[in-house]
Amino acid sequence: MLESLRKLRGYLKISGVASISRRYFVLNSFDGAITILGVVVGAYSSGAVDSRIVIGAGLGATVAMGTSGFSGAYLTERAERRRRLHSIKKAMLADVSKSVHGRAMKVATLWVALVDGISPMLAAVVPIIPFFLNLAGFISVDKAVWYSIVSIMCILFLLGVFLGRISKESMLRSGGRMIVVGMAAALLSWLIGWL
Amino acid sequence: MTGHDPQVKRLVLDVLKPHDPPMYELATKLALCHGVDDVNVTLAEIDQDTESVKISIDGTDIDIETVRKCVEDIGASVHSFDEVKVARRPHPK
Repeated sequence: MLESLRKLRGYLKISGVASISRRYFVLNSFDGAITILGVVVGAYSSGAVDSRIVIGAGLGATVAMGTSGFSGAYLTERAERRRRLHSIKKAMLADVSKSVHGRAMKVATLWVALVDGISPMLAAVVPIIPFFLNLAGFISVDKAVWYSIVSIMCILFLLGVFLGRISKESMLRSGGRMIVVGMAAALLSWLIGWL
Repeated sequence: MTGHDPQVKRLVLDVLKPHDPPMYELATKLALCHGVDDVNVTLAEIDQDTESVKISIDGTDIDIETVRKCVEDIGASVHSFDEVKVARRPHPK
């Protein structure tokens, strides 16, 4: 197990996937959270919040984002990695596809696709949980809406903190920025639902 | 009368490798090969995509094919064998 993890780390290091993984993780988590924010706020402002509908629409969007994220990233990353492998082959005047570079290419492609697919799903599923609680009778639908919105803001804040940590700037300011963006998206969704 | 098996004691290779994985990883991998005691890797030339390195291997019974496979596994290629030292050891009776 440890040996496999060590090999995985080695392949990811050779491929240089760290920065692109971080980028995809934040970008797609942001997409997932904002999508559900739009569903919840839009439904609330139109006066038609039904937990079943929010759950159905939310989970449908979650699965769609995960599927498109995985497959889109897989195909794109595969093309880019093959291009890089080809340039190494050209420089080495030898076939390196059976070497560590070939293996690293396959591992990196799958890794990036998994990050791209799983991150929006995770960020989208958490805000839907309050509506399950409403269906189970634990909380009212109004509370479910607010808990959902609060959880989305928390997710956005944490993503901002993560970005702040990476860029070595104020984590609080970075988190605050993400919340401002989230609130702007919520306002737009509310207006559209109200119209 | 005893028989004698030749053993490779020292090998110096000229290798062309991509920048990744780095030299120390190649050196570590070679040091793990059977019969290898010491590995020394020196950078000779470098360009945008590749680097030429001189690898000196000292050991008790170096397997040249294992060393070649080790080098090729990291995507490098052996350009030439610049030095080889072989000794004879007697068969046990």
